[in-house]
Amino acid sequence: MSPVLSPSENQQVIQDILATIESVVLGKPQECKLALACLLAQGHLLIEDLPGMGKTTLAHMLATTLGLSYQRIQFTSDLLPADVVGFSMLNHTDNSFELHKGAIFNQVVLADEINRASPKTQSALLEAMAEEQVSIDGATYELPSPFFVIATQNPLSHSGTYPLPESQLDRFMMRLSLGFPDLAAEKKILLSHNGKNKTLTKAPTVNHTAIIDQAGLLAMQQAVQEVTVANDVLEYIIALSHISRSAYVDKPLTAQQSNKTGSLGDLHCNPLSPRASKALLSAAKAVAFIDNRDYVLPDDVQAVFYVVCQHRLEQTPTQILSQHAQKNSIAQRILEQVDVLNPLAY
Amino acid sequence: MSLFSFSTNKKVIATKPKIAHFSLSTQNSWLLWCCQCINIALISAELSSWMLAIIALSFVWQALLLNKNATSHKLSSDKKNSQSKKKPDHHISPVFLGFFAIAGCLAITLSAQGLGVLLSMVHLLSFAYALKAFELKSRRDFYQLFLLGLFLVAAALIFKQDLSFALIAMVALVVNLAVLLQFFSRAQAVSNTLKTVLLLLGQSMFLAAVLFIVFPRLSPFWQVPQANSATTGLSDTVQPGDIAKLAQSSELAFRVNFSQGNIPTYSQLYWRAMVLEDYDGRAWSRTAPDPATVSHDNYQLEAINKRLFMPNTFKESEKLNYQIITEPSFQHWLFALAPATSKDNSLLLLPDYTIQSRKLLSQAKGYHLDSYLNSPLEVNIAQERKAQNLALPARSNPRLVQLAQQLAQQYPDSEQRAQAVLTQIREQQYFYTLEPPRLLNNSLDQFFFDTKAGFCEHYASAFTFIMRASGVPARLVTGYLGGEYNNLSSDGTTNRSNEAQGAQQGHLSIYQSDAHAWSEIWVEGKGWLRVDPTAAVDPMRVNSGFSTQLQQQQLALNNNLLSFNHLKKFAWLNELRLRFDALDYQWTRWVLGYSNDKQRDLLQQLLGKVQAWKVALIIIGAMAISIALVFGVMLLINHQKKQKRALSPWLVLYQKALLILANNGLEKPVNVTPQKFLLILKIKYPELSLAFARVNASFTRLNYQELTREEQKKEFKKLQQHYKNFIKATKKI
Repeated sequence: MSPVLSPSENQQVIQDILATIESVVLGKPQECKLALACLLAQGHLLIEDLPGMGKTTLAHMLATTLGLSYQRIQFTSDLLPADVVGFSMLNHTDNSFELHKGAIFNQVVLADEINRASPKTQSALLEAMAEEQVSIDGATYELPSPFFVIATQNPLSHSGTYPLPESQLDRFMMRLSLGFPDLAAEKKILLSHNGKNKTLTKAPTVNHTAIIDQAGLLAMQQAVQEVTVANDVLEYIIALSHISRSAYVDKPLTAQQSNKTGSLGDLHCNPLSPRASKALLSAAKAVAFIDNRDYVLPDDVQAVFYVVCQHRLEQTPTQILSQHAQKNSIAQRILEQVDVLNPLAY
Repeated sequence: MSLFSFSTNKKVIATKPKIAHFSLSTQNSWLLWCCQCINIALISAELSSWMLAIIALSFVWQALLLNKNATSHKLSSDKKNSQSKKKPDHHISPVFLGFFAIAGCLAITLSAQGLGVLLSMVHLLSFAYALKAFELKSRRDFYQLFLLGLFLVAAALIFKQDLSFALIAMVALVVNLAVLLQFFSRAQAVSNTLKTVLLLLGQSMFLAAVLFIVFPRLSPFWQVPQANSATTGLSDTVQPGDIAKLAQSSELAFRVNFSQGNIPTYSQLYWRAMVLEDYDGRAWSRTAPDPATVSHDNYQLEAINKRLFMPNTFKESEKLNYQIITEPSFQHWLFALAPATSKDNSLLLLPDYTIQSRKLLSQAKGYHLDSYLNSPLEVNIAQERKAQNLALPARSNPRLVQLAQQLAQQYPDSEQRAQAVLTQIREQQYFYTLEPPRLLNNSLDQFFFDTKAGFCEHYASAFTFIMRASGVPARLVTGYLGGEYNNLSSDGTTNRSNEAQGAQQGHLSIYQSDAHAWSEIWVEGKGWLRVDPTAAVDPMRVNSGFSTQLQQQQLALNNNLLSFNHLKKFAWLNELRLRFDALDYQWTRWVLGYSNDKQRDLLQQLLGKVQAWKVALIIIGAMAISIALVFGVMLLINHQKKQKRALSPWLVLYQKALLILANNGLEKPVNVTPQKFLLILKIKYPELSLAFARVNASFTRLNYQELTREEQKKEFKKLQQHYKNFIKATKKI
């Protein structure tokens, strides 16, 4: 495969990937698309949901269809940092220390049930996610590229979980939740389970091969970066993040907003960092790319705003999967405040 | 206003297209109510008492309604089901209101004759203003009410223009504008609104000043009916007791500004207003024909000729030049130190050396006079004039006649005879008082021999009567005596007076309380001589003003607590009063007195010879420059405040399309993207969706896609085409 594809070829590949993933993760096209967008935007993905909702399946499918090396770490409360990043071991034959690479030395790391591990172990992941490198015994090792962490976690109310610190949450570009499948999808799942292909449930990805290789993925990521953004959309993103900061910034962005801070001021959300607005922009670009556009629309920003920003805005201890929760979330309220056509409203 | 068009544009979109019921917020309603009260209070002095009572009634009513509405509103919001129930709004039934209005109009029409055209119109305006508040059914009604309020403030300025009133009117204007602004931005605090209004007024002040100075004062296209206001000051008949009444008023009569030399001493300041030559046994009146009916030119010519052909009588060295600015008195009389001449065409110089204005004094008027204080008046008079000034009604005041005949025998010389009367007044127990006892049939006998207490007109009448009865031509003169000197009015442009050495700065203020009456007797070879019998009974009155005893009397009689006589008791208050008086003087002189002629003079000074095109050019130029300046400054401020970004033309077009949809009941919430809005539209107006989809697509391309200039132009043309089609499509529905 040539590293640079034409737009139409790109679109073909993307559609293939999505179709493949959706054939396994049934009834969740929107979530699949967002997950793919996250990877195309070079961000790490956090999937939060109840056990048995297909988190791991989604992560697995992403890795395989993109043709990336993949390893899964099951996080438990006694998991140690060395288990994640690796360790040096004495080689008795030549009396030298030999590096035993941990699971993190893969292009896709699935950190399953990440909030079950102790904070110490969680933070071992931190350096890796931010710097794409790990330090073991004073030596620094580059991680393979592209490098993704796809973490899954259970809702915090479940027993035996440690909440992820804000710093670590901020490093995930998106937090997705899959939610329950609709009736038709669930029926299909049951049918496939009950039917001839029993192996599917065991290892649903076994049958699928990579659709794109590493070079192709890198080229596609490059193409995503080249999606153009109009001034209006930039201002829209700025206005969105600025509203979340109204409690911290003396001067309101506009007169119009100054009237509104009253309604938002009592929400006490965490302000969005510039990293967040950067993530918002990248994710919006990726969504635009998946939709076969070379420019970003405000719709793209709105599509990713909840998944990119909600986990940065507030810690939601309880269920996050219901539609109701999304409708009443702070992210949604912020979206309602900003005029799409004239974000910095004069 | 174009500067704010962006924001208004937005506002239009934001407002809901279908306003089922218009109502002001409680706070705004009260603000409006207060504002209305202020406006009416401003003009209340001109309204008759029954009209004031009606208006007060409707305001109280209005307040009760507001109060009721506020409480019921609270109740309904407590119940929470206010939306399902209809708001219990308290309104007066339109039938009743209409009946009330018609009744009020009828009453105004009936009393129109007494009120005159202008006042009845003002009554009508105020009445409408008070009633309109009952039927605020839509935005338009609110605007109408606001405009009526502004009109009322302007109308109040027809009647009164002095500085304090102008300031009060300004405050009323600010309140009116604040109410309007508050209506538009309910969320703002009232203090913020006030700030904005003051800022806006400040910005417009500069423009107003420039326009005031250079804008040509066109004569009105229609005649403003004269205010049929009560006349103030002296009247042209005098009965004993009239001037005593007038002297209790502390109102300003006129101000004098001596442009060179020293101000004459107090006892020389006899400001002549009227000469009264007819006595009917009760009152003194004047014979001269009414200036409004007589052809003035002959009269004027005669008067001027008389004076111009007396070369020896007026000495140039004694010339005293001064300017008088009168307050509106709604009469024709002007004031002068006799004998006086003037080249002012608007003045009518009468042969008895009094001066009249050709126009009714409904506004402050300024005029320049030259007086020759020590020159004689009318050394030669005609026989019939002599006879006129000797005429007495038969069988009036027999005791005085008897006294007069006695004196005539005793003192053959008329001057000595006058002196004798004065001596008698001085030596006998006569009292000078503001509260003269009432006289039966205005009998001068009773005054002179029994009560022996009176004000200046009593003494002057009696003296004149005696002189006439004894065969000396005599007449009564009314006017003002003295005045209060105020040197605080430092004059900015007294280049003329500065040239004169020891130039006096400041001005004299003459109040109604300085009203005075005295006599003039005609002596062969000397002309008319001024004799003031008041000097005999109360020398202080003539030399320096009211004695303390008189002042106390005045205080007791005057129930106006704020009258300056009260204030005089405290030095600092008096100083403050004088300062304000000085300011008011400058206001009257420069702002109210800025007439057509002054404007021409000023332009002439600036431009040299006045030519029509030059004047036009300078006016247009000045206006253009000032407007440009104001807008420039505003633009600059706006630019600095926020780096302003012009809305792109396609966004404007798109928003126009949105506005059309909003007016048809489909409003785009601000947070909905164009694409999503299209989906909503497809459900609600499927027949429009195709046309709007094209507009939408073009707009999206223009706004969000990176296009080259060429592509942009093409796409914008497409958008315009789509927009036209879209409008056609909307018209079909």
